[in-house]
Amino acid sequence: MTARALLARPRFRLANLPALLAALFIGAPVMVVLIAGLFWGGGDHWVHIQETLLKGYIGGTLGTLALTGTLILAIGVPAAWLVTMYRFPGRGLFEWLLILPLAAPGYVFAYAFADLLGIAGPVQTLLRDTTGLSARDYWFPEIHSLPGLAFVLAATLYPYVYLTARAAFTSQSICALEAARSLGASPARSFWKVALPAARATIIAGLALALMEAAADYGAAEHLGVPTLTFGVVRAWDSFGSPSVAARLALVLLTIVLALTLLERANRGRKGSQQSSTRWRVSTRATLSPRRAALATLFCTAIFTVCFVLPVGRLIWLSVETRETIAPLGDAFRNTIILAGSGACLAFGLALIIALSMNGKGPLARLARLAAASGYAIPGAVLALGGLVLLKLFGWQLAGLSAIAMLAWVYASRFTAAGAEPMRAALSRAPRSMGHAARSLGASPLRKAKQVDLPIAMSGAAAGALILFVEALKELPATLMLRPFNWDTLSVRAYAYASDERLAAAAMPSLLITLAGLVPVLLLSRQLARARPGQFKAPLP
Amino acid sequence: MTTTDLSARDITKHYDGTAVVDQVSLKLQPGKITALLGGSGAGKSTLLRLFAGLETPDAGEIWMGDTCLSTTKRSVAPEKRRIGLIFQDFALFPHMTASENVRFGLNKMAKGDAELAAADWLDRLNLTGRAKAYPHELSGGEQQRVAIARALAPQPLAILMDEPFSGLDPALRDSVRDIAIRAIKDANIPALLVTHDAAEALGTADDIAIMKGGKILQNGPSESVYMTPNSVDVASALGAANSIAATDLPASLTADLKTDGAQLVIRPEGVLIDKTAVTAATVQARHLIGPVVRLSLQVGDQYLSAFAPRANAPSVGDQVRIRLDPEMVFIFASDAI
Repeated sequence: MTARALLARPRFRLANLPALLAALFIGAPVMVVLIAGLFWGGGDHWVHIQETLLKGYIGGTLGTLALTGTLILAIGVPAAWLVTMYRFPGRGLFEWLLILPLAAPGYVFAYAFADLLGIAGPVQTLLRDTTGLSARDYWFPEIHSLPGLAFVLAATLYPYVYLTARAAFTSQSICALEAARSLGASPARSFWKVALPAARATIIAGLALALMEAAADYGAAEHLGVPTLTFGVVRAWDSFGSPSVAARLALVLLTIVLALTLLERANRGRKGSQQSSTRWRVSTRATLSPRRAALATLFCTAIFTVCFVLPVGRLIWLSVETRETIAPLGDAFRNTIILAGSGACLAFGLALIIALSMNGKGPLARLARLAAASGYAIPGAVLALGGLVLLKLFGWQLAGLSAIAMLAWVYASRFTAAGAEPMRAALSRAPRSMGHAARSLGASPLRKAKQVDLPIAMSGAAAGALILFVEALKELPATLMLRPFNWDTLSVRAYAYASDERLAAAAMPSLLITLAGLVPVLLLSRQLARARPGQFKAPLP
Repeated sequence: MTTTDLSARDITKHYDGTAVVDQVSLKLQPGKITALLGGSGAGKSTLLRLFAGLETPDAGEIWMGDTCLSTTKRSVAPEKRRIGLIFQDFALFPHMTASENVRFGLNKMAKGDAELAAADWLDRLNLTGRAKAYPHELSGGEQQRVAIARALAPQPLAILMDEPFSGLDPALRDSVRDIAIRAIKDANIPALLVTHDAAEALGTADDIAIMKGGKILQNGPSESVYMTPNSVDVASALGAANSIAATDLPASLTADLKTDGAQLVIRPEGVLIDKTAVTAATVQARHLIGPVVRLSLQVGDQYLSAFAPRANAPSVGDQVRIRLDPEMVFIFASDAI
């Protein structure tokens, strides 16, 4: 045996065991669902669902995903291109304003838009008042429909594509675009033939993330009355009380999510999308003619107005108008802090382990990374189902501490990857040679992790912790399924009010959730502004 | 195809109030490669971008023969100029194969013709068999050769190269450069080579323009600029040189020079070891740098770099006699420093 192999063995174990345990912990809820879905019989309920509802659920999910994806691309890509490449009034402001819709979960926008565009809402009322028509005399797009759901989800999820497309366009070597123009290509041909294909893989990756979020949505689909698989999973548990039926539906949903992941992978293909550029060259943004600049401003204003100002403005209006005081939300507030807080704490610890093992080699480290990353793709409803099955297996009650612990577990399972990301980013900024230096100075892997990697990862810890807390706070279906009896959080309260058609009462908790969501979004936009490469006016001499 | 010159006339470009290119006039002759040599921030790349139409001038004009390309008021779009660009980072389109990259500028040709033309260009740049490879599957040298083929394939009226070889492995650089220069010469068009490497400029270009602080200090045929620099800056820009005040050297060494100025720039090859000479020097250091040995010689309390053939070069500590070759000593007024 070579000296190298002798040295490699203990390093392998020490470095990867915590990550492996973390991965098992993260993966357990979805594993349980997979086993339940595959091996537990479905019973009569399943036969009933198969015959009556399954097609509708699958059609609803696929239709929503297709339409949402199309809308997201149509909004996110042009917005990113304009903001990255051109100068027009308000550009600097729109650069970050257009990220804000990400703060609101889909169900919050569903409540706001349902109120805005519903028959008794301000838009239709205004229409009737100005035209003198009655409600039967005109056609108006129905928000309680599949296209309505797709519109609502696209309005809050398009920033995923906007952000990834922007990153792709920014990191593209401006030289490639200049080369295209020197070869006779018009700006339009340069966009379609060079910039867009080179950015495609990155844009698709952003789209895949957005669609996973869309597939995980429960609240918006439920409120707008669109039967989707996630809706079906919660309903199967809720109405039939049947975990095995829910698990089977979850299996179908997981297949779709897996297909999304595989499509994204396949799309990368052999073509390079990474620019071969070795130096950044972002030249001055092109100035648009006054007419085109006005159109660009108008386009961005329209997106921001429709996807943020209108729904959030409506929630503020409703909160103020009805004067629903904050006092009754006191309990919900406390419960939210406790539940989201304990979930965030658990996920934080796991995220730290995962982030520190990112450089680990070997199959176990890879497995750990995969488990952590895939958690984010699994809908909360599916993980909650896993949690419920686990509770049942352990013989625990859905009450008190055991429920809180299980919910924290499910939150951690879903969000650890999101929390690990800023820490991983912090670590990746440190050169590899730093680790090599520590080793050459005689530090053991453990000491290197403790004294070198951990302090560096902690610089991304605040952002990671914040993201974890806010994600847990926004989460609806898992919270709904797993919360201890009488433990309403803000999201559950908003959902309950909205279900009772008390939209005015739902407005305040929805608004609070959105406000909390704004914090990490603003943090992100600041970070992006700082990280923007090649931010200088003159080209490199 | 008729070829014509490309020229900048009194061109100026400001960034944030600073003139990055300051009243520059430069004529690029067809069939000749002009090296634009200067350090970082000299304004070289900006001048190149002004030629290409990627920047508009704040003053002055760009002309192609008797066609005006840029004035402060209007500018022919880069895609309408037929000026090829080659970048340091290659700027290949990552999602296209080598052949597709070369065909990008041939989109007005019939598909079959474009394919033949691309194959022909790839052959000429020794890339036969690499047509279907994507950029990330090519080595650095291959990528740059694809970029050169891509720029030349549409038969541009001029070609501009921005540090095209500095991203390459030194071992590859010479061979890629030789292939590129041959292809560019064959095209018989004006070519601009932006570089910060004096050896590259001297070894590649017919003409050299030395740029500093946005201005062109001197330009002309390479040898003439090398042999008759008009300032300390130009003399130093073209290679290692001893820059020294005449009064700091022993009178015996400077006796033969017509020292009507006080500042000397002495090329190392101008410091000759000659047993018959009067001035004594001590060898303080000796390094083999390829074909010759570089010596550091102490004369009084000054140090001079000199080159000597390896076979009979003195050793460290040896006493030698030296004299200066007047052709390789450039004399400037002391305020020219």
